[in-house]
Amino acid sequence: MGLTARLLRFAHAHPRAFVITAPGATRTRLLVEAELRRRNGRMVTSPAAAAMLIVCGRPGSDLTAAVDTIWEDMPGPRSLVRLDGSASAERVVAELDRAAGRLADTAAQRADAEARRERGPWSPDSDADGMNEHGDQASGHQHDHAASSESDDGGGHEAIRHEDEDHDGDDNEHAPAADSGHAGHGAGSSDEDEQHREHMEHGGHAGHGNHGSGHGGHQHHMGAPMGLAMAERAADRDGLKLDVLHVPLGPALPDWPAGLVLRLTLQGDVVQAAEVAVMEGAADGSSFWDEPWLRSAAGEQLTTADAERRRAASHLDSVGRLLAVAGWESAADQARELRDEIIAGAPESDVAPRVAKLARRTGRSRTLRWMLSDVGVIDRDMAGRHGLIGPSARHLGDAFARLAGWLDEIGQALGRLDDSAPLLGSDGPRGPVERRTSAAVLAMLPELLDGAELAAARLTVASLDPDIDQVTAAKAEVPGE
Amino acid sequence: MQPYVAVLALLGLLAAVVAAVYALSFAYTPPGAPSAGPFLSGTRPREHALSRHHVRWYAVTMVFLAFDMEMVFMYPWAVVVASVGTKAVVEMFAFLALLIVGVVYAWREGAFRWA
Amino acid sequence: MSEPTPVWAVVALPLVLAALAYSAAALDTAFRAGGGPAAPLREGVRLIVQQRRRTLAPDVLLMRIGVISLPTAALLAATVIPLGDTSVWDLPVSVVWFNAMEVVAWGSLWLTGWGVNSAFPLIGGYRFLAQGLAYELPHMFALITAGLGAGSLDFGDVAAAQDDLWFVVWMPVAFAVYLLSALAMTFWGPLDHPVADDLAGGVAAELSGPDRLLFFAGRFALLTVAAAAAVPLFLGGGAGPWLPDWAWSLIKTCAVLAFLVWVRQRFPVIRMDRFMTAAWMVLIPATLLQTLVVGIVVVN
Repeated sequence: MGLTARLLRFAHAHPRAFVITAPGATRTRLLVEAELRRRNGRMVTSPAAAAMLIVCGRPGSDLTAAVDTIWEDMPGPRSLVRLDGSASAERVVAELDRAAGRLADTAAQRADAEARRERGPWSPDSDADGMNEHGDQASGHQHDHAASSESDDGGGHEAIRHEDEDHDGDDNEHAPAADSGHAGHGAGSSDEDEQHREHMEHGGHAGHGNHGSGHGGHQHHMGAPMGLAMAERAADRDGLKLDVLHVPLGPALPDWPAGLVLRLTLQGDVVQAAEVAVMEGAADGSSFWDEPWLRSAAGEQLTTADAERRRAASHLDSVGRLLAVAGWESAADQARELRDEIIAGAPESDVAPRVAKLARRTGRSRTLRWMLSDVGVIDRDMAGRHGLIGPSARHLGDAFARLAGWLDEIGQALGRLDDSAPLLGSDGPRGPVERRTSAAVLAMLPELLDGAELAAARLTVASLDPDIDQVTAAKAEVPGE
Repeated sequence: MQPYVAVLALLGLLAAVVAAVYALSFAYTPPGAPSAGPFLSGTRPREHALSRHHVRWYAVTMVFLAFDMEMVFMYPWAVVVASVGTKAVVEMFAFLALLIVGVVYAWREGAFRWA
Repeated sequence: MSEPTPVWAVVALPLVLAALAYSAAALDTAFRAGGGPAAPLREGVRLIVQQRRRTLAPDVLLMRIGVISLPTAALLAATVIPLGDTSVWDLPVSVVWFNAMEVVAWGSLWLTGWGVNSAFPLIGGYRFLAQGLAYELPHMFALITAGLGAGSLDFGDVAAAQDDLWFVVWMPVAFAVYLLSALAMTFWGPLDHPVADDLAGGVAAELSGPDRLLFFAGRFALLTVAAAAAVPLFLGGGAGPWLPDWAWSLIKTCAVLAFLVWVRQRFPVIRMDRFMTAAWMVLIPATLLQTLVVGIVVVN
């Protein structure tokens, strides 16, 4: 092993990974997070900081384009790991080991870089006129082949699988650009009506997501350095003409619901308009968090303890996400660690005191309360209009109220970990599982985020933590949607 | 060693370290510096990010400027208070009190709240 | 001013600065994921062997100026901070110089955020400017209060003026505000909103390889310098029993630095849209009252 390879092994022993999760692959994400933690690794927040791209689940076509974009934006040495929704813990370990090996394979990395240089840089010209999905996908593919053919067998295998996925993906293709202006991709038809109303209410705003070609006009040709338009102006709420940026949140964003896309129109860091869409997985599983209740509804015999264990873990996952977005990494890590231990079956006597400690630490933090209060306030009226049910309807108010609600419910759920009575009812972590309550949350987001600051918008989404798996699973079951 | 020589020597050392970092990077990274789109959660941009950012705390910058100019007087003031005596303290804090009145007014007008 | 600088001080400064900045980084990883004392070295090697990258139509010059000015500002600020009672640059207005160098961070972050032509870093850069508007005045009042107590703007004289009583004892408000502003100027811990994860890393979101390395090394160096300046300002400089004064300077610096690193575990991030009012209506009046008290004591 040469000096460089040895340096690379040393450097990449603690992986820095960018993780993209497709809907339906929550279980795989949890395995990946646990394995990264075991390796002293870290989930990084942008492709520039990453050496490893980990894709959990099988992305559908839109999501595949996002994965390709992220992969293309990563500096070398880089390594791609694909894990489908049914990957075992052993497979996660093996794939991460293999990825670390590829990062230290100097010849392969050099060849990857050369191939990239030959192909030339990404430029907006290559995907003008809204063809960007396809353009990206094509280059992304070449890329994978170049990278993997030089590396070991595993890489090649992955590249092939990647192509397969695209074919699968075409079946439930669902191009966002074709869906002009209407939010509520994910929501059921009744919710869509509500979103129409939503749009009527805010119809006055210019610069609504998809109307770019409309107000693009001549400016596009006049001032488009490097083939990309300069920001255009639109009226803000006070009637000032201000520059507008279109910044999507998701799908490839850490601490973000898998598959959710929020197309924001920003002026400064204020959200002027938000449009919700959902990017699907190629193999939609049902929701991991709702699993015990769904199985029980299907006639299986489960105990209350099993279900409550899942409920506590689900809320801890949400709490960890909210704390991470609130910039409290240390508390977020604690929540995630407890979540994994609870899923692994740790006894109540072991985890309950530590969960209580976390609840005290966060629930009584004045700074956290100061930062989360009045963020994403939902009142009874708004909840009623959108048909919100579940914990976010039980704990009406701001983001801090929802956090406190989660912490309460976690405590109650842990109290029932010894309850061996058969599971009755269908009240899952996000409300009755058959009602797919996350759709209502999605329908509510545009109204909730209108006029919010970007940071507050992220906190709001994290404090609601919709489970997109509920929405995509619903679409998979209803043909013709 | 003269102080300016020492400071220049340290700056030279820093320049050498920075150059070494880039040189090592050049020697050991895979060739080339890939071009990437800006990170937008896996999508490509619709426009350049460089734009006239809507700075909503604009009013704060004005209040800040007024106060910051005053700080220029306060540094030399701090050195002479002991020798000038009570007069210096009274004059400075009378001036500061006027500024604070301005700040309170700005606060009442909502200059420090924008979200 | 033209007193010659001992050669050992010139040799010691970069070594001490690098060692402390490295220790701060190692302590931070130990608090977080774990990974042992080699973790920052590992990350450093990883960034050196990682490619630089270019975003679309960047202003590379501005971005590089932004990145490299961070460690430069830290080093230039460090030259006036005494180790024991010897500093590399015995400037009579060293407190003002320190203040001026620390303000360079405003430019650094904004230039880096602007230069890469990407939305998240751009927003992060503006976040730092808002943060600057909130912390800078309380910070300057804290510095002036210490200078007022000593009747001098020289770190050496300020430290010497604390022979009887450390300034931290009778200027607690100024000291607390100084620590808070140290966090803010190094965009660290609860005040790291400009590089926060909710913006995908904010200002640093598009930095990779050596750029990223210098940016974050510069931040740790700045954090170290901010901790080191607290020692002559409020903690009696090199004063202490048994040990030589340079050792006491180091011990006190390490203690302040460890505290600043630890604070990151303790608090969520503070947003300026909430904090601005508190900064102007609480911190500034509080530090001004502190200055008034010190002024009255000095006059008497």
